[in-house]
Amino acid sequence: MDKLLYDAVVLGGGLAGLMSAHEIASAGYRVAVISKVFPTRSHSSSAEGGIAAYVKGNSDPNDNPDYMTYDTVKGGDYLVDQDAAELLSQKSGEIVEIMERWGTLFNRQPDGRVALRYFGGQTYPRTRFVGDKTGMALLHTLFERVSGLSVDFFNEWFALDLVLDEKRVAGVLAMEMKSMEPSLFKAKAVVLATGGMGMLYAHTTNAYINTGDGYAMALRAGAALKDPEFVQFHPTALYPSDILISEAARGEGGILRNNKGERFMARYAPKKLDLAPRDIASRSIIIEIREGRGFPGNYVGLDLTHLGESYIKERLALAYEAAMNFAGVDATKEPIPVRPAQHYYMGGVDVDITGTNGDLQGLFAAGEAACVSVHGANRLGSNSLLETLVFGRETGRTVVEYLRTHNESTSTTLEGEAEKLLEQAYSFVKSESGIHFGEIQNKLRQVMWDDVGIFRNEDLLKSGLSEVEKMRTQVKEMYVTDKSKVYNTEFFNALELRNMMDLAVVISKAALVRTESRGAHFRTDYPERDDKNWLKHTIAYLKGNQVEIGYKPVTLTRWQPEARVY
Amino acid sequence: MVQEQSNLEQTEVVIKVKRYNQEKGEYWSEYKLSVDRFTQMTEVLRRVKTEQDPTIAYRASCHMAVCGSCAMKINGEPRLACKTLALDMVKKYGSNQITVEPMDFFKVEKDLIVDMDDFYARMFTVKPRLYPSEEVLKGNAESRLRPEDQKELWKFAQCIWCGLCVSSCPAVRIDSKFLGPAAHAKGYRFLADPRDTIYDERLKILGDSAWRCTYCYQCFNVCPRDVEPVTTIKKTRAQTRFLKDKTEVVKTGEKHVRAIYESIRDTGKLEEAKVYLTTYGLATAITDMLYTMRNGKMSFALIKEKKVSEIAQIQKLMGEKE
Repeated sequence: MDKLLYDAVVLGGGLAGLMSAHEIASAGYRVAVISKVFPTRSHSSSAEGGIAAYVKGNSDPNDNPDYMTYDTVKGGDYLVDQDAAELLSQKSGEIVEIMERWGTLFNRQPDGRVALRYFGGQTYPRTRFVGDKTGMALLHTLFERVSGLSVDFFNEWFALDLVLDEKRVAGVLAMEMKSMEPSLFKAKAVVLATGGMGMLYAHTTNAYINTGDGYAMALRAGAALKDPEFVQFHPTALYPSDILISEAARGEGGILRNNKGERFMARYAPKKLDLAPRDIASRSIIIEIREGRGFPGNYVGLDLTHLGESYIKERLALAYEAAMNFAGVDATKEPIPVRPAQHYYMGGVDVDITGTNGDLQGLFAAGEAACVSVHGANRLGSNSLLETLVFGRETGRTVVEYLRTHNESTSTTLEGEAEKLLEQAYSFVKSESGIHFGEIQNKLRQVMWDDVGIFRNEDLLKSGLSEVEKMRTQVKEMYVTDKSKVYNTEFFNALELRNMMDLAVVISKAALVRTESRGAHFRTDYPERDDKNWLKHTIAYLKGNQVEIGYKPVTLTRWQPEARVY
Repeated sequence: MVQEQSNLEQTEVVIKVKRYNQEKGEYWSEYKLSVDRFTQMTEVLRRVKTEQDPTIAYRASCHMAVCGSCAMKINGEPRLACKTLALDMVKKYGSNQITVEPMDFFKVEKDLIVDMDDFYARMFTVKPRLYPSEEVLKGNAESRLRPEDQKELWKFAQCIWCGLCVSSCPAVRIDSKFLGPAAHAKGYRFLADPRDTIYDERLKILGDSAWRCTYCYQCFNVCPRDVEPVTTIKKTRAQTRFLKDKTEVVKTGEKHVRAIYESIRDTGKLEEAKVYLTTYGLATAITDMLYTMRNGKMSFALIKEKKVSEIAQIQKLMGEKE
């Protein structure tokens, strides 16, 4: 097995990973970015509506970072660590200005300054945007910037597992997808910036590559996930292909309507209406559909027609284009058919405000892979792009500090460890016949959608958990039919399924245990938020077949829990 | 729970995929499946891989035409699979059989996966990043951008590195010094950015290459983001007049454009023989003339053009002083 030596390895080439790599490389350390796709193909490219920021001198005159923190805390149903949310708000303006300097072509006000728009759950408009392709614009800018530094990119390399030296991360085992050759990347620090896990759900706005690899790698190495039960569903995914119709559509004035033409959000969020946060809007849509006020096929309408053709085509180009290309609907003339779909994962690798994991020395995480936690039980729109950059940078800086103060592992058994992990990966698909990954994957996605979805209860979750546990045993019968030695994507899909199964069992268990409703976690058998018993983070470990659940307090600074009404 | 519907009308299609691997070489595989009017070709491939044949290899990520992973040929057309609905292909070609092949030009690694290294190398040649002034970088100066500049640049900044334009470009195949359409779009996006500080260096990288494009408009036709790489090449050519140390290709190109301009200004018509002579000079023209005579096409070169009657009108449109 080849051995490569770095100071730090970043897994993932999206916004969080690139920002971390930027900081580490700028401090003069040797950093490798390993990504299973070419970096501009990361899921960050799909983010549409914008990035929230309070920019001094260029925000609503009434706004300030405290309002931004408050909105984030309230939006997250008080499961947010408030020190983290404060940091996010305070650094937001600076981050947007940096990206602007590096060349992001933000939409402008007539005077040449960066423009802003409203997003759900915001007291004042503070979302900065590039049409509705903000994620793509930011990702390209950052990739272009980092590709000019001395960062080594390992594109289309699949990371299998973290390599440990006792309770310390000492490297990563990864495989070049083209040659199928494994390599051991030795490094003092590893940053997990592997993004989300939408492929666990039958309906998702996520890219095909979002299979939760980082969460599962952390779990297998013995690190905890924080708040794994919190899965966000976006209210407006295009029917039926689940392509995201950005929240910007509602931010710009789009109206949700049922089959009677009613603006039904007036029933559920009388003040905020269509700009209610995502969990509330998602549940409202499902209730409308269940009570017979949806359209045949089970969707509702997102009406933009009153905004006018030129406005729609300039500010909501992607929404217009997607509706036209994938549903045959002209959004300037009729409502876009939408329904909720999985969108974002609030849970993630347990890290503190610096991006450091407490279980394994040398392990860091940022972006959707991490749970800092700034999103709590429900993320506000345009906070995820912000989080990737702010905490990508914070984490990168933490890693630099760590590299300065820590020595390399002197373990002589790392190669042996890596060989063992490779062996495990192969043994996972060692059967000579039986099922292949696709059969189980499709079933898993349906079970998660039906039983661990938007509305949950004890019966559903119990049956979901037992199904998932069964499937997790079943995958040991799995085999890879393809024997090719170049881009054997079937092998990598099988390893992705291993990751999905490890994560699915943790999500289902944590959701079953939390007997309250908070943010995106909605239990019909416990419809109220229960601060007395549940104002705390779930901390979940995976030990063999057992999910071990513990708790951590939520950091409160200035905002005491109050009823969450919009 | 709300059960999602599959009450959409289903149509059976046959997908023929061109396969390749080192062990078996090239071969075709056929799959039958039912699709509805919304089924994207990426979803067709995903279903084939998870339900029928796990060995098939392809790239796909965002399935909403912003990541550029799923570039391939569908019924012979260079397209993004996600931006292609299966039944649109059935309708367009009047057949339930859809062929899927890897992109042209690039080396095939396995099935639909091609080697993109050459493509990326071209992109990095043009220094694809903004070089703002030190003052701006340090945050001591603010760089405002007019909304109209933002709009113009954003059009060309939307290249998603998919490679479709390069795969369909005839010029990159025969001219190794031509950077290709995507690199030109990327390069121009920074060349035209008023906040960039390395204009001369960029013009030097792009100038010679810009005059090697043949204006076939394939890149314009296939770009899934309507970036119009050929437009950026035209706009770059217009700037090579600022170029120091022009190469022969640039000089010839500029002479050619000048000759066309003068011909139209003087006669209102394109006098091909005269334009040719002015562009390439007498020596080359005589060599080529012998070749033309041997092919029996000399008579076409000798047509004498008469001035059009509304020449004054044309000159006015061209901005010549009356």
